[in-house]
Amino acid sequence: MVDPEFLRPASVAEAIGMLAGGEATVMAGGTSVGLLIGQGLIEADCLVWLSGIEGMAAITPVPGALRIGAGATLRQVAAHPGVRAVAPAVAAAAGCVGNPRVRAVATVGGALVHADPRQDLPPALAACGAEAEIVGPRGSRRVAVSDLATGFLETVVAPDELLTAVDLPTAARSSSIYFRYTPGSVADFPTVAVAAAAVWSDDDRLVSLRLVLGGVASTPLVVPEAAQLAGADDPHARIADVAAAARTRSDPVSDRLGSAGYKREMAAVWAERALLACLAPPGTAGQLSGAG
Amino acid sequence: MVAIRLSLNGEETCVDAPVTASLLEVLREGGLTGTKEGCRIGVCGLCSVLVDGLPVSSCLLLAPCAEGREVWTVEGLAAARPDLADRFAAVEAMQCGICTPGQVVMAAAAQEAGAGEPDAGYLDGNLCRCTGYSTILEALRGSGRADG
Repeated sequence: MVDPEFLRPASVAEAIGMLAGGEATVMAGGTSVGLLIGQGLIEADCLVWLSGIEGMAAITPVPGALRIGAGATLRQVAAHPGVRAVAPAVAAAAGCVGNPRVRAVATVGGALVHADPRQDLPPALAACGAEAEIVGPRGSRRVAVSDLATGFLETVVAPDELLTAVDLPTAARSSSIYFRYTPGSVADFPTVAVAAAAVWSDDDRLVSLRLVLGGVASTPLVVPEAAQLAGADDPHARIADVAAAARTRSDPVSDRLGSAGYKREMAAVWAERALLACLAPPGTAGQLSGAG
Repeated sequence: MVAIRLSLNGEETCVDAPVTASLLEVLREGGLTGTKEGCRIGVCGLCSVLVDGLPVSSCLLLAPCAEGREVWTVEGLAAARPDLADRFAAVEAMQCGICTPGQVVMAAAAQEAGAGEPDAGYLDGNLCRCTGYSTILEALRGSGRADG
């Protein structure tokens, strides 16, 4: 293999210039790209390394949202007090990826753009209503994290574009939960991952509810039936229906993490648990946060 | 090939390496063989090093990504902090020994993180095939107390 070029842009604009032509491979922490190169699974003519871009790793409040730079590491996200307060599911998901050495370098942007459907962070960000900012030669655009992935390892981010940040909405009252089910090693990908996030009115009415699963389809799986619980007279009475919808919509593959049928059943079981955990307004008894 | 400038065990260094070389390969070829090669997929912890104070799997880190960073291997850490290795020896926290360098690096990472009882999370993903975890944990906790 010919040794690729290794480019170190100092700004997003410089990086976009380097991506013109669409042949370059973008990397940051390198836990996926380094792994795939090491195993000979990908070859690259040109690597564009983003970690030298100033400010790319910052987590900062912006109006109505908490902006997480694409270069923020999973370790940063898991420990950030703002993320933990606004979206406990996101902090929890970031904090259970791999091991401390992976979390020290793996980035939010990498997790989203690599688009491995077994990853922890994308379902949690999608459930919490995060939006991605994508910058390219034609300007910038915003895409809901739930709409980023288009297939296994495929996203809407074009080869000449960069995902630069995700914005987590800072709703006044919200609750969120992330469960990962790993019957094997804790360091493994989840067999089934479930993120649920609710937004509440001041008088404890459910305003919105999102349920997103990982590991059971070629992309993070949004279960739209969950939204119908908002406005329902007794949301708890409909949890089983939504869990059944999660089972029906799941389209997993059989692999060492479990058979397709098993994953489908576990999708229903863990969807039900996540909804139960999430459907307690913040500050009330029974409110859970974080991971299980 | 690319020239990589980094601080290695406290000394400013410049090494030439193929772009696709891992930091692990560069370290070992440079004679720092305390860092072991295990799974090569970031799971086992044998190749742990500190990069800017944080534990990293050197098998996954492409060497050019160490540009401008401060890298410490088990050799440098053991020399700079003799208490670390002493703790492991005192409680016999090794059997076959191949995971020991990575465990020592994680104990150093726990020290870096500050005072207080280091939690077992630091050993999350540092596999000991001999399953001698209880003494390793004892050494880790001892390291934390010695420092903080």
